[in-house]
Amino acid sequence: MYGWIWRHLPGNAWVRGVISLVLVLAVVYALFQYVFPWAEPLLPFGDVTVDGESAGGAGADQ
Amino acid sequence: MAARTEHDERADTSTAPPPAPRRRGRHPVATAVSVFGELLITAGLVLALFVAYSLWWTNVLADREADRQGDTVRSRWADGPGALDTKDGIGFLHVPAMKNGEVLVKKGTDPETLNNGIAGYYTDPVESALPWDDEGNFTLAAHRDGHGAKFHNIHQLKNGDPVVFETKDTWYVYKVYKTLPETSKFNVDVIQPVPEESGVKEPGRYITLTTCTPVYTSKYRYIVWGELERTEKVDKDRTKPVELR
Repeated sequence: MYGWIWRHLPGNAWVRGVISLVLVLAVVYALFQYVFPWAEPLLPFGDVTVDGESAGGAGADQ
Repeated sequence: MAARTEHDERADTSTAPPPAPRRRGRHPVATAVSVFGELLITAGLVLALFVAYSLWWTNVLADREADRQGDTVRSRWADGPGALDTKDGIGFLHVPAMKNGEVLVKKGTDPETLNNGIAGYYTDPVESALPWDDEGNFTLAAHRDGHGAKFHNIHQLKNGDPVVFETKDTWYVYKVYKTLPETSKFNVDVIQPVPEESGVKEPGRYITLTTCTPVYTSKYRYIVWGELERTEKVDKDRTKPVELR
């Protein structure tokens, strides 16, 4: 998979390295900015309140 | 390897171990295994990044936002003690045993509020009393990890430790009298106006701190109860009560 991407990037090894780095940073940015904030409330790590109904119910508690 | 001898545009000139040179006609099973392995490595890296996000980056964002919101309130209060002012936040919680400075307190315990690195007072399932009410239970929640982790050190609180709440005009000094290291997340009795689970029977002026436990998870809730010991009027220098000096 990564080998395939590497072979399809243009330029010599240096140019490919720079492009790869930019791609990696773009992926990390997308994860931190969009994917993780979306995923976090779905995971049971941040619930701090007591709630009489169901866990994560009613949107009032995580 | 063939590419290197051709010296074409795609030549791999790095001397690092060649990234799995694919020979033409490589067995499809080998290719599938290779791709699967790379996907597993990728998944591991993404999970590691998620840990970094949860335990570090959300703290960076939340602390920044909490400082900003705290400054807003402080500047509203800058004209001296005056009357109670609860706009933009009702006040600051100081818990010396938690070594976390001051925590801004706002209404509500929904994630959008708590994720800003502040503590919230309950509006649901049991409405919190406020410190200046004649009696009732002032019930607070904040994050144990991530998003500012304002109650991270809640386990450091012992009976007799002071918990001080600062409003624009008054210092409310509470003393911890009971801790409950683990309870069900469905146990709403802990935030009742008279929290009988803490051993009290009479209405009074209580404070309850709730957060998740064990650290890094949300399986149970950690509860700390305190009772109001005294109040002090804020003077014009905002002199701190002895518990905070």
